[in-house]
Amino acid sequence: MIINDIEVLFGGQAGDGSLTTGDLIATVFKRMGLELYTFKDFPSRIRGGHTNYVIRAGEHRHYGLADFVDAMVAFDVECVQKHITEMRPGGFVIFDNSSDVLTEALRRPDVFFYEIPLAKIAKEELGLELVRNTISLGVLAALIGMDPEIVRKLVTAQYARKGDKVVSQNVAAIEAGERCVRECFTRESGYGLRARPDGDRLLMMGNDAIGYGSLVAGCRFMAGYPITPATDILEWMAKHAPAYGGIVVQAEDELAAINMVIGASYAGVRAMTATSGPGQALMTEAVGLAGVVETPIVVIECARAGPSTGMPTKTEQSNLNHIIFSGHGEIPKVVLAPETVEDSFYLTVDAFNLADRYQLPVFVLTEQALCQSKESVARLDLSAVKVDRGKLVRDGGVVFGEYKRFSFSQDGVSARVIPGVEGGMHLAAGSEHSEAGVITEDARNRERMMEKRMHKLEAMRAELPKPRVIGDPSASISFIAFGSNRGPISEAQDRLAARGIATRLLQLRTLWPFPEEEVRDFVSTASQVFVVENNYSGQLERLIRYVTGPLERMHSVRKYSGRPFRPIEIIDAVERIVRPSQTAMQAWAPQVAVR
Amino acid sequence: MATVLSPKDFATATPSWWCAGCGDFGVLASLKQACADLALKPKDVAFISGIGCSGKISGYLHSYAFHGVHGRALPTATAVKLANTDLTVIVAGGDGDGYAIGAGHFLHAVRRNPNMTYIVMDNQTYGLTKGQSSPTSALGFKAGPHPDGNPDAPINGLAIALAAGGTFVARGFSSEPKAMTEMIKEAVRHPGFAVVEVISPCVTFNKVNTYKWFKENVYHVGEAGDYDVHDRNKAFSTLAEPGKIPLGIFYRELRPTLEALTLGTAHEPINSLPIETVDPRLPALQDAYA
Repeated sequence: MIINDIEVLFGGQAGDGSLTTGDLIATVFKRMGLELYTFKDFPSRIRGGHTNYVIRAGEHRHYGLADFVDAMVAFDVECVQKHITEMRPGGFVIFDNSSDVLTEALRRPDVFFYEIPLAKIAKEELGLELVRNTISLGVLAALIGMDPEIVRKLVTAQYARKGDKVVSQNVAAIEAGERCVRECFTRESGYGLRARPDGDRLLMMGNDAIGYGSLVAGCRFMAGYPITPATDILEWMAKHAPAYGGIVVQAEDELAAINMVIGASYAGVRAMTATSGPGQALMTEAVGLAGVVETPIVVIECARAGPSTGMPTKTEQSNLNHIIFSGHGEIPKVVLAPETVEDSFYLTVDAFNLADRYQLPVFVLTEQALCQSKESVARLDLSAVKVDRGKLVRDGGVVFGEYKRFSFSQDGVSARVIPGVEGGMHLAAGSEHSEAGVITEDARNRERMMEKRMHKLEAMRAELPKPRVIGDPSASISFIAFGSNRGPISEAQDRLAARGIATRLLQLRTLWPFPEEEVRDFVSTASQVFVVENNYSGQLERLIRYVTGPLERMHSVRKYSGRPFRPIEIIDAVERIVRPSQTAMQAWAPQVAVR
Repeated sequence: MATVLSPKDFATATPSWWCAGCGDFGVLASLKQACADLALKPKDVAFISGIGCSGKISGYLHSYAFHGVHGRALPTATAVKLANTDLTVIVAGGDGDGYAIGAGHFLHAVRRNPNMTYIVMDNQTYGLTKGQSSPTSALGFKAGPHPDGNPDAPINGLAIALAAGGTFVARGFSSEPKAMTEMIKEAVRHPGFAVVEVISPCVTFNKVNTYKWFKENVYHVGEAGDYDVHDRNKAFSTLAEPGKIPLGIFYRELRPTLEALTLGTAHEPINSLPIETVDPRLPALQDAYA
């Protein structure tokens, strides 16, 4: 029996409540003291279309999906069709056979099917077809030993606002599910859970952590335009910011959103927006303005699969080049990339401080597999949070005629007054300007202004979030990655170590200015370097090659299906290079591209 | 201690880049006079402009001036107002800035009704890029990209403002400085979004719609009897009528502002919220995830 280590895939049609029940299951696991990672795989439509929610629970934190699904709850045959090949040998499927029928071709002999007419029981025994999901929860709970008390408590809390009748119907549904297992099946699932103390932990989504980080950092203005997968942040802020005096504006488009953020920040408020690829494309227009008028802004980019509409609800890291290189002309900008949910919180706080200290745009680049995933995290530490507004002048002491908004300085940063401050009146122009702000095309002034602004990138080096080395620091086989790939890579590292291959990972948390020195040093002591990323063209690998030059020992591991890596794919990529005769990969499983 | 202000208090040392005789001089003069008459303090005026000949105006008004991206002055200004409601926010830009590249923002600023003034300096051409057709150029206007005449019908920005829920809709003429000064003062005093379109002739690229032509083709509403500025239908028909160009305040109404609806009452400007120390209520927000 496998104890306390399971990946559950809960799937059906969009709009049928799979995501809600998935959340409920995740919360049960969390209360039972397990470590969690969840992944939402849903279509870009409201009703209909296959949707699934993957919940990984275990003794250890993994920050990503496992190789295989252990337990599938399938409300229709489509779910089985799509995911049967992802099942672990020895795993099981709970299948609703009320109307759909399983063909023999779909049955794998190494996977057991618990076929139960869930919808029929819901309708005939409980008088409410909607409770089908809750019955399946009861079935799953009985099969893997979810704590019945926690299940009842959470279901009751979940439906409390819908009234006593709905609560009792759902509690009856759990019981129906449990009874079903007791009375109809003698085969055990092969999986078991044992509760541990929950401890003071949270179950939090990446986007929640970013919203929370913004509020903690003092962000009191957000403007945004709805776009998957960034809308959660807009809604999070709309729900929470007003209690702290903040406001959220739903703009008419992303052009307006970013110009609003610039306006609010110019007037002295910490301000941000959140968007994804298509919105980022529009915002590109104004990023240069923020750079040249030296107005701090924070832009959260929740990347999804592009180009154009692409696959709006799927994950990808193909916006890296776009974020780093977008914009005509040259401005200093910072791009941070969190690796986990808690890092999403801490780097968001850093983003606001860096923006204020260096008066420039700061991007936080995350992706669907991280920003819309929940993880179990330790309570976030606010005692370390410092709000540093840099050279902001809000209380006067400024003499008109002497004060120069864009004065040349050692670090490229000038004292920044906000409207309302006596003596600080000036023009802030997107046109090139003098120290005092007067528009000028003077050649020498232009050179000095470019140098002043661009110098910020050097001045800030020591303050930028450092890359993290994960694994065996003395290992020579090495990974470089950013964002959510930290999850599958670090798990692959553990398993490679168990197979006798020691590795280390350089997880980049600042992507721009590019951490050239750290990358150069890291690569110089590596025997093989695997750059792992979710895009077609190997964008991170190319950035690294700018620094290192072409290297035969550098391999680009790429996945661009819109889905995150599973650890086995990374293990396989390494073994194909390091010891091609003994790969761990199952013959039928898909391989990712290694170039 | 009340000090009498003069337009000079709102002048900058920056020499203007406009052509001699440009209508924009008249707009600037009236704007400075209006600011002085209203006893505004330069430190409390946020003056945001678009791009183009008209957009240069922000360099010439002693204030907190912001010269942003083409067409995006209104979103920037809206947020400045939300960030600090104590500021007097004035936006200026041209017909291309407001009715072409920024047309979307124009509609949405009107419907949001933030308390600020928007001066559209209409010269019926893109002057700074040397005389192309603009959204208000006449049909048949001969210009660089349209050597055989502009094929696009002109749009009626003020009628659009009315349709979008405008609460103050007016038109002035840059060679009538006194009337325009009074109009701008009314607009700034209006507790809502005030649109003031100003006829500001381009002396270099528009040889048809000249000062002389305008003087012969404008009239003031109310000249021929009573004009009710609260009658929306009348405002529509006045603006839509072919023939002579009406000047004056066409429509005004009171409607809650964006700030009132977003910030509520009795609110400190959000740019002065104490964020330097973490609010003691914030740690407990995590409980919802426990």
